[in-house]
Amino acid sequence: MKKIFAAIVAASMVMAICAGCGAKDKVGEVASDAKQTAEEVKEEVEEAVADDGETIKIGIVAGVTGPTAVYGVAAQDGMLLAFDEINANGGILGKQVEVIKYDDKGDPTESCNAFNKLDGEGVCAVLGPITSGVCAAVAPIANDVGLVMLTATGTADTLTTADDYVFRACFADSYQGKKAAQFAAQELGVKDVAIIYASGDAYSAGCCDAFEAAAAEYGLNIVAKEGSATTDDTDFSAQLTTIANSGAEALFAPYYYNAVGPYIVPQAREAGFTGPIIGADGYDGTLTTMIEDKSIYNDIYFTNHYSPEDPSDTVQNFVKNFSDEYGTDYLNAFSALGYDAAYMLAQAIEEAGTTDRAAIRDAIAAINFSGVTGSFTLDETGTPLKSVPIITFKDGEQVFYTMLEN
Amino acid sequence: MAVFVQQLLNGLKIGSVYALVALGYTMVYGIIKLINFAHGDFIMVGAYTLVFTIPLMVASGMPAWTAVIFAVVACVAVGVGVEKVAYKPVREKGNRMSALITAVAMSLFLENLAQVLFGASPKTVSNIFKISNITVGGVTLNGNTIITIIIGVVVMLVLQAFVQNTKMGRAMRAVSEDREASILAGIKVNQTITLTFAIGSGLAAIASLMYCAAYPQAMPTMGSMLGLKAFVAAVLGGIGIVPGAMIGGLVIGLVESLSKAYLTTLTGGVLTSAFSDAIVFGILIVVLLIKPAGILGKDVGEKV
Repeated sequence: MKKIFAAIVAASMVMAICAGCGAKDKVGEVASDAKQTAEEVKEEVEEAVADDGETIKIGIVAGVTGPTAVYGVAAQDGMLLAFDEINANGGILGKQVEVIKYDDKGDPTESCNAFNKLDGEGVCAVLGPITSGVCAAVAPIANDVGLVMLTATGTADTLTTADDYVFRACFADSYQGKKAAQFAAQELGVKDVAIIYASGDAYSAGCCDAFEAAAAEYGLNIVAKEGSATTDDTDFSAQLTTIANSGAEALFAPYYYNAVGPYIVPQAREAGFTGPIIGADGYDGTLTTMIEDKSIYNDIYFTNHYSPEDPSDTVQNFVKNFSDEYGTDYLNAFSALGYDAAYMLAQAIEEAGTTDRAAIRDAIAAINFSGVTGSFTLDETGTPLKSVPIITFKDGEQVFYTMLEN
Repeated sequence: MAVFVQQLLNGLKIGSVYALVALGYTMVYGIIKLINFAHGDFIMVGAYTLVFTIPLMVASGMPAWTAVIFAVVACVAVGVGVEKVAYKPVREKGNRMSALITAVAMSLFLENLAQVLFGASPKTVSNIFKISNITVGGVTLNGNTIITIIIGVVVMLVLQAFVQNTKMGRAMRAVSEDREASILAGIKVNQTITLTFAIGSGLAAIASLMYCAAYPQAMPTMGSMLGLKAFVAAVLGGIGIVPGAMIGGLVIGLVESLSKAYLTTLTGGVLTSAFSDAIVFGILIVVLLIKPAGILGKDVGEKV
């Protein structure tokens, strides 16, 4: 009897493992399908170009499968929506846009291969890749071959440097720390602030450093600075008790939604901290991790790339068109940034008046752009200096609070 | 002073969770000399059970904490299942090292199974205890914290009484002391080991209730860090000794909380509160160097 039981359990475990493998295989299949389709598209494109040369070829490198697929799919959908709209409105420089897209599976090596392939296929610029790590691998190649790499979503501070071919449509990580300090000083009107951050996490520590640097500029006193080792900690009560007793009027806590919802906010309120809590784009998603008592989240503000609740026409137009085309599953900051990146590139080509790669580079560097994620120019490294929307929670709903001008 | 008391309570809260988890480690180690690395993941099993059963209990008019019954059933089933399927065959065929590797494998298996079943994104646990805060002399005592500490102490005392005073408890201690001799004395060794796993897993279920009351979120990997710290607690107290696990857990909780609170001030900013985990694991190293058998452990020369 015992043996039979053991056999059954063992068999079910084996099946569970196989189920896991199956899923992986499927991803692989999808990926190779995608590759095949891309190759077919490429052939068609080559034929089309050979025929009349009347299209503008733009490359997309995005990890639409693999570990960061959620981001990749969202960003790529945003880009494709933008190019559909552009083509429907007569294209760029009077020519239709031909998109050649490759899936890099979120892998740096694959991404470099895809970028080289696009270079060989004669695209005039490339949108992507998605995450900072992958972007960092592709950036040197972009500079070597002199082909614009415009990432929609790579936020690491070190990604862009002066005089190169690497640009982005999003702000850098540290920019949010600076904006949070500006918000605390100008909108909340506080003087004494506290910080809690994860010292072992590049994003959290980067935001914290930028906040500290900007705090001096905006006349804020940092009365307590507490840390945790990682963003995955669950107990912050000791640090928050110290903060609650430090006399701080506001707290800057750059963590992700998985810690903010169940741990940071409830524990802060429990420890007796009643002031506003300020965060960064990692707070996006907190709605899914909130505990039952939603009222404790009412005095929370965070910076984000865009707000779907922003009443401006550009934003509402994007929200409507994207939802109609792709549904609302991927309607987020990533799709908005992908959408803006595509329009940025289109505007740059239009302004350059040619598909010459160097001319496009110069046009992007000098761009003055207005889109879903704000109006901006680029700094000397190629990173936008944007207006930033501040979002808050109200009884368990995400609400647009204000636009923090650049 | 009020702040210091508050920090002590913070430490006791997480410490009593560590203590309960450490009890599971210690019981299993005491009886089959196996460090059950999957024990932390039993907490995860309990937490997911709570996520799904609390709404059911609340809907049927029962208090939320009664969902712990389902958690106990689920954890015991998983614990005994793991023992029967993975540990027992390995124990009979392999050596202690292969059993240890099996434990690590089971831990990974459970984490990944949970990811397949429930997805990687965290799930929120509903409110478990509805107790308002009490203020005594300027110190706000959180209701959850008090309940956690009380349940922790009660469970430990009951377990200690069970191990010391019941027939089954005596059998467990006998198997732990000398397995061959207890077979000769007519003790059903395998049954006793199964019982130990069942109790250890049941404790994990109670620990998951207390953990979720304080930290209301379930995710597939939640058991790994918790399990590691509880393991340190078990080693600190003297692995294999029930009161040792209690003391170890509370000490680790207090060290963690107080180092997070005062490390920055004490070291003048050289070390920050982020170092508290390093201190917890540093303690493990120091204990292993100075008193390898733990606080309550006796140095027993090993036969060579």
